[in-house]
Amino acid sequence: MYRAITIKAGSSGWGGPLTFKPDEKKNKVLSVTGGGIHPVAQKIADMTGAEALDGFKTNAPDDEILVAVVDCGGTARCGVYPKKNIYTVNLMPVGKAGPLAKFIHEEIYVSDVKEDCIQYADDEAVVSTSTQATSKSEVESSAPKTKQQAREEIAKMNEGKQKGLITRIGSAVGAVVGKFFQAGRETIDMVIKNVLPFMAFTSMLIGIISASGLGDIIAERISPLCATLPGMIVISVICSLPFLSPVLGAGAVIAQVVGTLLGAQIGLGHIPVQYALPALFAINAQVGGDFVPVGLSLGEAEPETIEMGVPAVLMSRIVTGPLAVIIAFAFSIGMY
Amino acid sequence: MDFISNLANGFMSLFQAGGETFMGWVTGIIPMIVCLMTAVNSIIKIIGEERVERVTKLATKFIITRYTIVPIMAVLFLGNPMCYTFGRFVEEKHKPAYYDSCVSFLHPVTGLFPHANPGELFVYMGIAAGVQQLGLPIGNLGVRYFIVGIIVILIRGILTEKIYMRMISKGDTK
Repeated sequence: MYRAITIKAGSSGWGGPLTFKPDEKKNKVLSVTGGGIHPVAQKIADMTGAEALDGFKTNAPDDEILVAVVDCGGTARCGVYPKKNIYTVNLMPVGKAGPLAKFIHEEIYVSDVKEDCIQYADDEAVVSTSTQATSKSEVESSAPKTKQQAREEIAKMNEGKQKGLITRIGSAVGAVVGKFFQAGRETIDMVIKNVLPFMAFTSMLIGIISASGLGDIIAERISPLCATLPGMIVISVICSLPFLSPVLGAGAVIAQVVGTLLGAQIGLGHIPVQYALPALFAINAQVGGDFVPVGLSLGEAEPETIEMGVPAVLMSRIVTGPLAVIIAFAFSIGMY
Repeated sequence: MDFISNLANGFMSLFQAGGETFMGWVTGIIPMIVCLMTAVNSIIKIIGEERVERVTKLATKFIITRYTIVPIMAVLFLGNPMCYTFGRFVEEKHKPAYYDSCVSFLHPVTGLFPHANPGELFVYMGIAAGVQQLGLPIGNLGVRYFIVGIIVILIRGILTEKIYMRMISKGDTK
């Protein structure tokens, strides 16, 4: 028997509370948390009577997913499911963030969720919230349509009317300027939402590392190991191990921090500059290892494809990771 | 008393070093990126997604273009994470390989076109900043990163396709 639950945000979380109840069709809890079913996903499944699925092994059609449980630090995954209008539970304390931030809103998304954030709800509450949620989503999905319809109507009205030359030039220029302006707006949005927060976080980290003397230890002990071709290959092999790559890949945060640290070492001359190019591939052999199921479902792949596709990609990396380093090493000859 | 003030100074110096790094990035990297991203975003809007889709659909038929032109176009025009949606143009059996080659291009692209993946710039920027610190030009690094990126995504695409095919055929015989 299915039961309704309410999930509220954790102490430093955002969004929610979400109240929902599975039915005959929508009864899957998808756990997209770096392999395995997360305890929170399992608890949601146990309490509601729905079925928990490991998003890395299997997948379900979107219309059967009741709720997706993700552990996204604010890069992409946290927005993918809200965009598909699927309830999303994020284990990390992340609010409206990432390139798909505009799809994240309180009615569909809740973050920093722990097991004790989940409670049974009384059924009356569900009915009201679920209708609210659907009515809201209906409004959202119908709003752009009506806009498009309106545009079509205007276009129809304008058909047949012969526009003057000056009007045509005017509207063409207007359209182009509008596009430039919109591009500028999107760029600033991106810089504020994605670039600056990362700079803040990394510069703090680097400041602490360099001022605390930890930097010197890295320079003396670790840099010499990295500054050889075998060293680079070993790094890439480690990064591409199938059980490590989904963990390391999350949001490219590790690759970015390591990249910045290596960059600092190159700048100080501890690592020869000709290793810059192979290093770029060595620290990034795991790229996207955490994102395979989500990326595939964005490409509208069937659940069976996702099931087999995840191990195929992860296995291929063991070979292509080190290979990329070698190719990059060959290409960096004569660069500096 | 001295001890406490020394402690406080030491504590503040941890963050002063960080602040200097942050200032260097904000003034050194952001102005260029803002202008470049605005320019490229405008071009993309003027060209329009439909035209890109038409070219891309043709390119999915051949193995070489499927893992070079398709992901490059997807990443350049849609960026992360919407570039994966071009996976709908490739055949079902090629989707995992397309994903692999597409995701592997998301960082090499940032050397020349930061707009495609602004949230993950520092894989490249971090290392490039070090090269710059030595007074060397980074254009060369960006171009080579891009070229090697294309070679790597082609290899990844082909190899992942082979591995995936083998896995399905094994699954069938069972």
